[in-house]
Amino acid sequence: MAKLYQEQYVWRLPVRWYHWINALSVTILFLTGIYIATPFLAPSVGEATWYHMMAWIRYVHFGTAFVFLANFLFRMYWALFGKDPYARFAGFKPWNPVWWGQPFKDQLASYLFIRKKEPNYCGHNPVAALTYFLFVFCGSIFMIFTGLAMYSESNPDGFLNGLFGWVIPLFGGSMRVHTVHHLVAWAFVFFLIVHLYAIIRHDIMDRSSVTSSMVTGYKTRVEECPEYAD
Amino acid sequence: MKKQQTYAEIMESRGIDRREFMKYCSLLSVYLGLGASGLPKMLKAMETKPRIPVLWLHGLECTCCSESFIRSSHPIVADIVLNMISLDYDDTLSAAAGHQLEAVRKQIMKEYKGKYILAVEGNAPTKDNGVYCMVGGDSFLNVLKETAADAMAVISWGSCASFGCVQNAKPNPTGAQPVHKLISGKPIINVPGCPPIAEVMTGTIAHVLTFGTLPELDRLGRPKAFYGTRIHDKCYRRPYFDAGMFVESFDDEGAQKGWCLYKMGCKGPTTYNSCSSMKWNGGVSFPIQAGHPCIGCSEPNFWDNGPFYSRLAAVPFVGTDSNADRIGMVAVGAAAAGVAAHAIGSAIKKKSADNDNEE
Ligand code: HEM
Ligand code: SF4
Repeated sequence: MAKLYQEQYVWRLPVRWYHWINALSVTILFLTGIYIATPFLAPSVGEATWYHMMAWIRYVHFGTAFVFLANFLFRMYWALFGKDPYARFAGFKPWNPVWWGQPFKDQLASYLFIRKKEPNYCGHNPVAALTYFLFVFCGSIFMIFTGLAMYSESNPDGFLNGLFGWVIPLFGGSMRVHTVHHLVAWAFVFFLIVHLYAIIRHDIMDRSSVTSSMVTGYKTRVEECPEYAD
Repeated sequence: MKKQQTYAEIMESRGIDRREFMKYCSLLSVYLGLGASGLPKMLKAMETKPRIPVLWLHGLECTCCSESFIRSSHPIVADIVLNMISLDYDDTLSAAAGHQLEAVRKQIMKEYKGKYILAVEGNAPTKDNGVYCMVGGDSFLNVLKETAADAMAVISWGSCASFGCVQNAKPNPTGAQPVHKLISGKPIINVPGCPPIAEVMTGTIAHVLTFGTLPELDRLGRPKAFYGTRIHDKCYRRPYFDAGMFVESFDDEGAQKGWCLYKMGCKGPTTYNSCSSMKWNGGVSFPIQAGHPCIGCSEPNFWDNGPFYSRLAAVPFVGTDSNADRIGMVAVGAAAAGVAAHAIGSAIKKKSADNDNEE
């Protein structure tokens, strides 16, 4: 059976850079964050002056947090001013009932094995777009606000606290902010599992090469062409 | 109304000489974070401002705030401030009692309408019309509202009055509410802690009494001078925290050597108070110095942020006490299981799709 391939350049360089910097920084943030809450490495006992295990891990968390933040802001800039059709979130209108219409239902139905045909999208399919919105967009904003609020706590009269300090009473105190920041950290792992599964599955089910598209930028459209069947 | 004496006059009449008076004023100005340059301001206020009456109410509480207050490490400060207060109304410290005392309260409210300070220790249960705390035949809820109505300002002593403390911890059977939730339209100072440090209390009340204004407050209504930094940021065990040298159990080597109590549940990193700088009992010690983790008693909801001896707070989850990590792992486990099941479904779907194509 022959196949017809059509290559389509979807993910431009800024999107791919964003993706991989984000993936790397979230991984580092999660691991260091868990370590901060439960420091498990037994220290080699020495002078507290020179040995800085905990301080280092926190330093890496905060440093990575600012890379994560800058990268996120860059991605928002690219969405707004990049003139990149696949990066603009243009079709994403969850406030509009039309958006939840046929394409969304079809995609969900095929994920739920109700529909046989697997829809094929150049950019994100509507269900994927919704999960990216919830986990990546909202998740990142949540971590940035709660994170910067905690970060600013050492100086309640400072500039950062002026911007983000209101988050603390919103959740009912500093400890609560730690707890919600910690809970939502796990949402990223949850997302990672679903995300990895979904792209690998798409590669197998419709051979659209989503997985490699985040490296090369190209997605492949595959059509079965029965007339060339041997 | 007879002419109100100034603080200086009161002290003189109590046999305190000028020298002692100066000492007291300089101490106070240091307490209030005004420094040496605040002394002239303080002196002037003490010599010219008339004494402000204070009504000190007790609601649902354990009196630990009063206990702390009367143990102020500088007896002269405590003595003077305390005497200024008990001159008026305090149902645990006044000599008068019963109807006689209630009459005093009513009289001061009338005579000094809009000019007295209301200090509240404890909070008010609101359920069933507040019957769970009765004072002089009326619910404390009513007494509080009535007394607050004509007050110049309200001071909420301790975590009960400021945030609710144990009375309004889950499930809060009496519907206890902190003062700021019940009183509106009045300036309120929260002085949380269970109890607050004595010097923080005398410092706060002295500021209001001498200047007739509120000290600078933070977002949660606490005086910045005393609640401006976390325990953790001034803790003398902080080098061990940064080094990652933690006490793992109360009888290990680290506990003996005074390492950081973070893994024992220390809430110092999330608690604003002066314990690690001013300390307690005149700078003798504070919980962490005694080898016990901070329980965060001056923070909102501190009873519900427990357990006291674990770093991660308990989070209610499907009827059990869980924590962020356990909930996270359950969610991730569910995702993995869901993905595995879905993969099997997809394999079947693909197989049947391929078969369809073959045909
Ligand atoms: C995907 C992104 C992130 C993840 C997965 C993550 C994860 C975590 C976790 C698990 C903790 C431990 C919480 C606890 O129980 O105390 C933590 C703490 C913290 N995070 Fe993040 N975080 C992220 C982003 C950020 C950002 C953007 C900031 C901003 C500066 C930030 C600042 C902090 C701070 C200040 C703490 C408290 C550290 C301490 O108590 O010593 N985080 N993070
Ligand atoms: S003992 Fe508590 S307050 Fe002190 S450094 Fe350790 S965690 Fe911070």
